[in-house]
Amino acid sequence: MSNSVAKQLEEHPLVPMVGEVSKIVDETPDVKTFHIYYEQGKPFTPMPGQVAMLSLLSVGEAMFSVRGVDENHLEFSLKKTGILTDALHEIEEGQKVGVRGPYGNGFPIDFCKGKDMLFIGMGIGLAPVRTMIYHCINNREDYGKMQIIYGARSPQDLVFKEDLFENWHKVPNCGVDVTVDRGDDDWDGNVGFVPPFVEGLAPNPENTVAIICGPPIGIKFTLPVLEKLGFTNDQIITTLEMRMKCGIGKCGRCNIGSCYVCLDGPVFSLEQLKVMPDEY
Amino acid sequence: MKIIKRDKLKDLLNSFAKNAQTLAPVKENDTIKFLPWKGQGEIDLSQNALLPPKDLLFPQTEVMYRYTDGGVQGEITDVAAAAERQVIFGIRPCDVRSLTMMDDVFMTKGYEDDYYKSKRENTILISLGCNEPQPTCFCTSMGIDMMEADGADIVMYDLGEKLALEPKTDAGEQLLNDVDVLEDGAAEKPVAKECQLKADAEGLAEKLAQMFHHSYWEDLSRTCIGCGTCTYLCPTCHCFDIRRKNIGEEGFQFRCWDSCMFSEYTRMAGGHNPRPSKKERVRNRFLHKLQYFPERYGKVACVGCGRCVGKCPVNIDITRIIGELREVSVDE
Repeated sequence: MSNSVAKQLEEHPLVPMVGEVSKIVDETPDVKTFHIYYEQGKPFTPMPGQVAMLSLLSVGEAMFSVRGVDENHLEFSLKKTGILTDALHEIEEGQKVGVRGPYGNGFPIDFCKGKDMLFIGMGIGLAPVRTMIYHCINNREDYGKMQIIYGARSPQDLVFKEDLFENWHKVPNCGVDVTVDRGDDDWDGNVGFVPPFVEGLAPNPENTVAIICGPPIGIKFTLPVLEKLGFTNDQIITTLEMRMKCGIGKCGRCNIGSCYVCLDGPVFSLEQLKVMPDEY
Repeated sequence: MKIIKRDKLKDLLNSFAKNAQTLAPVKENDTIKFLPWKGQGEIDLSQNALLPPKDLLFPQTEVMYRYTDGGVQGEITDVAAAAERQVIFGIRPCDVRSLTMMDDVFMTKGYEDDYYKSKRENTILISLGCNEPQPTCFCTSMGIDMMEADGADIVMYDLGEKLALEPKTDAGEQLLNDVDVLEDGAAEKPVAKECQLKADAEGLAEKLAQMFHHSYWEDLSRTCIGCGTCTYLCPTCHCFDIRRKNIGEEGFQFRCWDSCMFSEYTRMAGGHNPRPSKKERVRNRFLHKLQYFPERYGKVACVGCGRCVGKCPVNIDITRIIGELREVSVDE
């Protein structure tokens, strides 16, 4: 990060840095990945699991999982869900957007070091999980076996296909297992929901951390499976979503009890969630 | 200690106003408001202002930055400038205390909000001790001394025909030295009358931590109409929304007060709302004041100003609620 950029962020934590959308990848009919380019170098290097505010200046801003790609790029993968993401899905390469951040705690990297890693992603929930997958790939010697389990509604809805079916298969000591809720004529992989799929694959809980993200209903039914397999609450890590406006613990709305998801999250262990009010 | 006769008060405010925006409680249309002093108006020190002066540091609507967004080439053209110096005259001890809570929110826990900080650092507070509380006042229950105000630059006492001003900070001392309408003097601090309304929130946070699923919240929420008046009047409520206004190819991003009593406040894209009904919202408001804020910042987020008690259209009274919460059994 250049000094002037760092200074600006320090002085104005609520003002975004404008960058250019240099590449848009169609992942699925309703998910696109946006690469945002900063000529002077990207404004920050997010830790895996951190989030950032992405804005179209005249439309609005919202918090999303963010990944640092190289010296100049930040990357967001967005499902078309509301006013802002609808508008972002309409833009073309060359469009200027704003980004501010990074916010939140990120995944507990030190806690995960030296352990086997189980990644469970459902739908667009693979986006935050993937930031940690890439961290483990880039620091492969720090982590044990990697097992990636992913599920989507249909073959059409699979995100990051290049990673799922090519890149991650080349990673040493890394397994990738994919399932879809409903197949089609061309799909020869597993068909079925994620919870029974995980149960069938029976990942070993010993010295393992499970990182799981997806729609609440998917998480709700996968947690008992992990429990049955012998995972304890401190071995299960997830991320939460709440509506956010400031991202820096001032505007008030993303609280769960006395925690602010923007500052104290979005990453929580199941152990932490068990003692928080269940209001999310 | 400096003394000024009540009939010279306008001269004092005129002196302050030469060097800084000076806000004073003025009666306008039967309402006491903190208004910029321009040499005219009816200064009214008989009771506290209807609205807390929090908007002088955290405006109800505040431009954050401006941008152009013509097609694809958007850029930020201007970030809101640093604040000018201001003097708030006649702020009550309860409202001074509330600013220490605003300071906790906006200036601690990892991020300093530059919009707030700039105003705060350029603000001089002259408090006015309360000789006589209103029927809705209960600041003493919240640990506030009706005469003193920790955090004020100058503490002022109402002596009837005269007012006494005691500087508490260098900035306060400097301000008083710069004006020539004050006389040196000594005066006995008035004795305040007792607040009739009382509440005991001491240690309540620990009990509330066991009461998230208590039926009390459902019962309480039946009365509330979700109007949000309490949050707008509250000197410690700090929630805001961030929105934008487009004018052709230009526009500006602004923030404005928001309220946890509104359903949209937590509604997410896709429709999920973690606080979908009044029950969750009322619960959040009271737990925020009485449990979450104490857990996060070590203070109950209520200063006993009584504004919500006086103005709630359905008579929800936080002192009664505190009393009831003390009484109910945790196990229902």
